[in-house]
Amino acid sequence: MDKAFIEKKLEEQKNHLESLVKKAKDNGISQVEIFSSYGYAEEVTLEKNDLNNCTATEENMFGIRVIENGSQGFLTTNHFPTLWESIQEARDLARSQTTPDSDLVLPDPQTLEKRANQYDESLDALGLEHLVEIAKTTLGWKKELFPKVNLDSGDMSLSKGFKLIVSSKGVNASELGAGISASVMGMAVDGSDVGSFDYDSASGNDYPYFAKKWERAFREFGEKCMGGLGAKAIPGFKGYILLPPEAVYSFFLGSFIGSLNGTSIRKGKSKMAGQLGKQVASSKLSIWEDPTISGYAGTTSFDREGQATHKQSILNQGVLDTYFYNTYEAKKAGLKASNGFATGGAQSLPGCGPRQLQIAPGDSNKDDFFKMKDKVLFVNRLSGTSDGPSGDFSGVIKGSHLLENGVKTPVKEVQVVGNVYEALNQIVSISKEGELLGESYWAPYMLLEGFTITGAS
Amino acid sequence: MRDLLKECLSEENGLVELRYHHKENRSFFAEKGRIESSALRKRSGVGVRVLHNGTWGFASTGEVSKASIQNAIRIAKQAATVSSSLRGEKISNLPPALFAKGDFIGKGIEDFRNRSVEEKLNLVLDVQNKALKSSASLQSVGCGYSEIYEEKAIVTTDGADSFFSMVRPEFRVNAVASDKGKLESGSHSIGVTGGWDCLFRDKKPEDISEEACKTAIDLLTSSLPDGGLTTVILSPSIVGLLVHEAIGHTVEADFVLAGSVAQGKIGTRVGSDLVSLADSGVSEYSEGAGGTIPVDDEGVIPQKTMIIQDGILKSYLHNRETAHKFNVAPTGSARAWEYSDVPLIRMRNTYLLPGNSSLEEMIAGTKNGYFLDGAKNGQADATGEFMFAVQKAYKIENGKITKLLKGATVSGLAFDVLQNVDMVSKEFKWDLGSGHCGKGQPAKVDAGGPYVRTKVQLGGN
Repeated sequence: MDKAFIEKKLEEQKNHLESLVKKAKDNGISQVEIFSSYGYAEEVTLEKNDLNNCTATEENMFGIRVIENGSQGFLTTNHFPTLWESIQEARDLARSQTTPDSDLVLPDPQTLEKRANQYDESLDALGLEHLVEIAKTTLGWKKELFPKVNLDSGDMSLSKGFKLIVSSKGVNASELGAGISASVMGMAVDGSDVGSFDYDSASGNDYPYFAKKWERAFREFGEKCMGGLGAKAIPGFKGYILLPPEAVYSFFLGSFIGSLNGTSIRKGKSKMAGQLGKQVASSKLSIWEDPTISGYAGTTSFDREGQATHKQSILNQGVLDTYFYNTYEAKKAGLKASNGFATGGAQSLPGCGPRQLQIAPGDSNKDDFFKMKDKVLFVNRLSGTSDGPSGDFSGVIKGSHLLENGVKTPVKEVQVVGNVYEALNQIVSISKEGELLGESYWAPYMLLEGFTITGAS
Repeated sequence: MRDLLKECLSEENGLVELRYHHKENRSFFAEKGRIESSALRKRSGVGVRVLHNGTWGFASTGEVSKASIQNAIRIAKQAATVSSSLRGEKISNLPPALFAKGDFIGKGIEDFRNRSVEEKLNLVLDVQNKALKSSASLQSVGCGYSEIYEEKAIVTTDGADSFFSMVRPEFRVNAVASDKGKLESGSHSIGVTGGWDCLFRDKKPEDISEEACKTAIDLLTSSLPDGGLTTVILSPSIVGLLVHEAIGHTVEADFVLAGSVAQGKIGTRVGSDLVSLADSGVSEYSEGAGGTIPVDDEGVIPQKTMIIQDGILKSYLHNRETAHKFNVAPTGSARAWEYSDVPLIRMRNTYLLPGNSSLEEMIAGTKNGYFLDGAKNGQADATGEFMFAVQKAYKIENGKITKLLKGATVSGLAFDVLQNVDMVSKEFKWDLGSGHCGKGQPAKVDAGGPYVRTKVQLGGN
């Protein structure tokens, strides 16, 4: 399967969806939107330090949205031959509702900026046999470099496809994409000492770039797993925590970013309601959305509703610049149109959120954080929970270390408790260095102060 | 469907497993006085797994036709052929298992079919409308109902030949209360395998809503508990999190083989003698457990698996491959979320067996500790170190519950916590039937048990 095949399939499908939309309009369905996600994937999976499975799958999902008199019905299906019947069924869902809202409309089309090609044709030369070779190399690294690390699971995959949206309002947009990725999860075992599990991944849309990233990711994974051996319980204390890029993005900023969702703002469930233009975080923190970067996984010219995406500031030196809106939430907020932050795909209604956040680097050297004289808890990963509205979080740190006077001690059975919104103002320092995560979002290291750390001894 | 699958296999040699899957997921959600979403997700196809040249190959097709299925078989074999050289430990032919044969029609399907979309929309709309009016402190109340209807047919070249259908409804309420800029959340949810009579058997929708709203409001005036090692009484929902997150994952045989803390511990003491723990495809003690399955996704009849008996580790959870490796019978624990997903070893309904104490005497017998209730989420590590979050922590002082504190994170080492169990109640409840377990792909599971007293590490001030 190559780019030419996918382009042909896309063209055929576009024509078919356009004819369906026309048929719907001719039959009195004036607002209908069809979002198509097509994907072909080949994958080699590892388990227990050995090959587990080899798979090839292909699927096309269609998300059909019908809006009638301010009510909405949504249907997802993978059954191409009955798309017309599915449109009718979505209309029936809309008609069954009794709480219409005139703000519920499909968006008008917008002019879209062209983005860099997300389908590198060199990937067409790759197939299952190449994924097998990557898996073989990975197992070789494990055996040679990290014999005490057990690979619980891993996968190497090649995926390609397209996304397409057609609506009765004239929205019509599509993009092809292809990528190669790998991930691994496991833990170090040394006799009866079982370390905390860890994981890492790499992806790219051309092979040479991916290969280099994957080797680095695997080595880091192995080091993290080995670093979890010999973990000790420690007494609790109140003080600093150091977050690596992954923890910064996935945990620390997760609730804050979620609180900028237009839906949460509208419903009064967000701490950030009414905070536009205000200082909500340390002046050291700046965040922006950038869907334009060539080669990044989240780069796209249009969002889930076919609206234009563009670079936008979210937080500028701690001052809040924007919320995330889809069409409906923008109208509820009194805006003419969304700001291109509709999220999702064929299997969900448009949500609100970013797709490719970039966190500005700071001016500190990462290595200096590890040499501090004070006690610092390095939080490799947090297994915990966070409550969006209140901002309260707590969790057990995983694969982490106590840093003191340059000495690094692996720890276990340690919990951290705090509040995300308060933590935004507990940032002491941000590193110059950082990591590109998920081939999409860049995050630095962050040092924060004033945290309650509960130990087991 | 079984006939079509058998026809596709008529000329096949070696192990070929065909799994037809049709799924309809309907969901309705109301908040702020209106229907926020009304959605139907439909998905159908056939997953094909082959054991070829000593390794697995997998392919799937969304077209349910003989030609497409046979093409998927060919692709799966090609995939296995390409990768066979990589596999260090080849898989020989698997021995026969206790295969399911025939049709298995789930309970509640007729009820599910007879209830209109309007009835379900009115349910979520009415409940949240009433809830929002109950207190000025409530900022927002969301109410959702969803149901998954599934059909599967599993046919293999070595004897599985079954069709089954089931329906799993869920109902949930999320509330956010506010006071002077402070926001707090409360939620409550239920999920079963069966119809509405089963879903709302123990609690009415309004009761569920009231509980979620009360939690959100009460938490406005609560503070964090003191952190550290402490005695706790766990409610059935928290016990469900414990047995699922802390124990269940560590005894999934694929995880055991990767080096989980349960490796090599069969026959050893891992808990006090009050602790007996099982996982079953059947809903034990009461009907409707959310992880109930009549057939697993390898076509095997699920077993009631005693994982721990009187504190002694007895069994892991197996699919056909790991059972063969360990020289035991499969437990019927292979599960796949979609037709395009490879079956994995997963839990079904995991529970602690009840004991002889009463909750009242457990509280009365606790001088200083906490009563924990309201399961949120949880995770576990290979080391057996677990984390789960609870909504509410009630302080127990001198044998009485004195005040409500914020829920926090509970952690510990799985087997240490079980060793410290010193009281187990007579009561039993399934209480983890909504939501999903995640392990690369979702799975519908349930968990529960009695009230349990033990020691855990509590996050807090």
